[in-house]
Amino acid sequence: MAYYPEPVARLIDALQRLPGIGPKTAQRLTFFLLKRPADEVRELSESLVAVKDKIVYCRTCFNVTDEDPCRLCADPARDARLLCVVEEPNDLLAMERTGEYRGRYHVLLGALSPLDGVGPDDLKVRELLARIEAGAVEEVILATNPNVEGEATALYLAKLLRPLVLRVTRIARGLPVGGDLEYADQVTLSKALEGRREIS
Amino acid sequence: MQIGWIHVVDFRNYRTLEYSPTPRLNLLIGPNAQGKTNLLEALGMLIAGRSFRTSRLAEMPRWGVERSTISGELVRGDGSAGRRVVRRTLTKREDDRWQNAGESVEWARVIAFGWQDLEIINGAPGARRNFIDGFAGRLYPTHLAALVRYRQILARRNRLLQQHAHGDDAAARLQPWNEQLAAVGMELMDRRRKAVAALQTELARIYRALSTTRSKVEVRYWTALGEATEPAALLAALNRTQRAELRRGQTLVGPHRDDLAIEIDGVDARAFASRGQQRLVALVLRLAEVLPVAEAAGTAPVLLLDDALSELDPGVRELVLRELGAAEQVFLTSPETLAVKGAAVFQVNAGGIAPV
Repeated sequence: MAYYPEPVARLIDALQRLPGIGPKTAQRLTFFLLKRPADEVRELSESLVAVKDKIVYCRTCFNVTDEDPCRLCADPARDARLLCVVEEPNDLLAMERTGEYRGRYHVLLGALSPLDGVGPDDLKVRELLARIEAGAVEEVILATNPNVEGEATALYLAKLLRPLVLRVTRIARGLPVGGDLEYADQVTLSKALEGRREIS
Repeated sequence: MQIGWIHVVDFRNYRTLEYSPTPRLNLLIGPNAQGKTNLLEALGMLIAGRSFRTSRLAEMPRWGVERSTISGELVRGDGSAGRRVVRRTLTKREDDRWQNAGESVEWARVIAFGWQDLEIINGAPGARRNFIDGFAGRLYPTHLAALVRYRQILARRNRLLQQHAHGDDAAARLQPWNEQLAAVGMELMDRRRKAVAALQTELARIYRALSTTRSKVEVRYWTALGEATEPAALLAALNRTQRAELRRGQTLVGPHRDDLAIEIDGVDARAFASRGQQRLVALVLRLAEVLPVAEAAGTAPVLLLDDALSELDPGVRELVLRELGAAEQVFLTSPETLAVKGAAVFQVNAGGIAPV
């Protein structure tokens, strides 16, 4: 890196800290940006700053938003009896893209992860309990990831929530729609078999 | 099944190697350190996509290269049931870690025997758990994925035990990990027990055929949970030992603490068996895998036997070779030339191979 002028080295160094980007990719991105017109680069740098300045977490559901409460929490058409619990804002967006879910959300901003020192106090669990104690929720849908951290988080919350709410459910694990059975991995297939349903 | 041909580039001591074995017994001879074991490892990688020697990918590529490839043809049964050309690559990523890529062939199975298998008899319990997990994985394809998941849960639960040795909310924090550990743990134990049962018949038959004695070999699965088959039993055991676990900072019950008892005429094999006898029992354990694996996969596995005849009596060698004559494709390495009827002999020398 000793060969690069200081601003170039600094940008390479900054890009390298992003997830999934190694030294070669950081170099490539840096030299790509060097060749772009100045406004385009300014636009990029401004949007980087704006995301940090203007975006906040919604105080109700902890989704990322530019207004608090967020549009989803403020929407009177959303069913307040249904509450879907997800790990990250990305997961909320994925659920929203289905267009099927008309209830409300709660974002935990993480999952229980002893290896990273993340316990229940580091997640928005207290806030979740407060929302449920407020009354309206009849069903909590635990939509954390199907990995060991997500599963532990769901089990932990299920135990806490069962005395407080009518129904606590966990999203099903199974086959991707539109896929072929023969290409499904064996674990997914056996989980799908476990979660089979009677057909009417 | 058989390997029709294999093409190796930049793997261990091989720059390039092309080799078309016979569908029966292949004898690979040559002095030490010429690449016999490396060739077996490449054959195993081609079939299973994993090495039987190491889990560290960085060990396998030839020194200094950024990529190594193994490609070849896998033949099911006599070839009428299907052929697949597979290609596996080890590539060095930008962050200096190695990536292993290649498709898996659902019916392809390989069983490897090497000097390290002596550990199954006289080593620590971990070697016996690895043996039974490897075998269970060849019988039940979901076993290894469950094992990976179990290890993830265990690592996180142990960390929690270390962090919360004095916390009063330890039980509530452990509970979600206990439940997962119990569910996946019992799944593992169930398949390991089935694997042990599947091994038993063949083990007795082959040991009688190969040893010149009338001794009987038996394998039993040992667990602190006895005969229990329900996750609730493991969950209860975790709750019982929690205090000790918090003190020690590790999980004290579960399949990661289980063992196999391997006995010759009712006596622990490691206690009385001679080294030659221990080697024979280790070899017989691998050979006993063949029939159950063939039944589970629908085609016979390929056998990779690294120096399997050393330390055996000449009489026993003859019997082993006769047993191997009945198997499908076998690769057997040896530092010295062996006279075996019907075997194709190949000389391995300094990273090359030639028929003799």
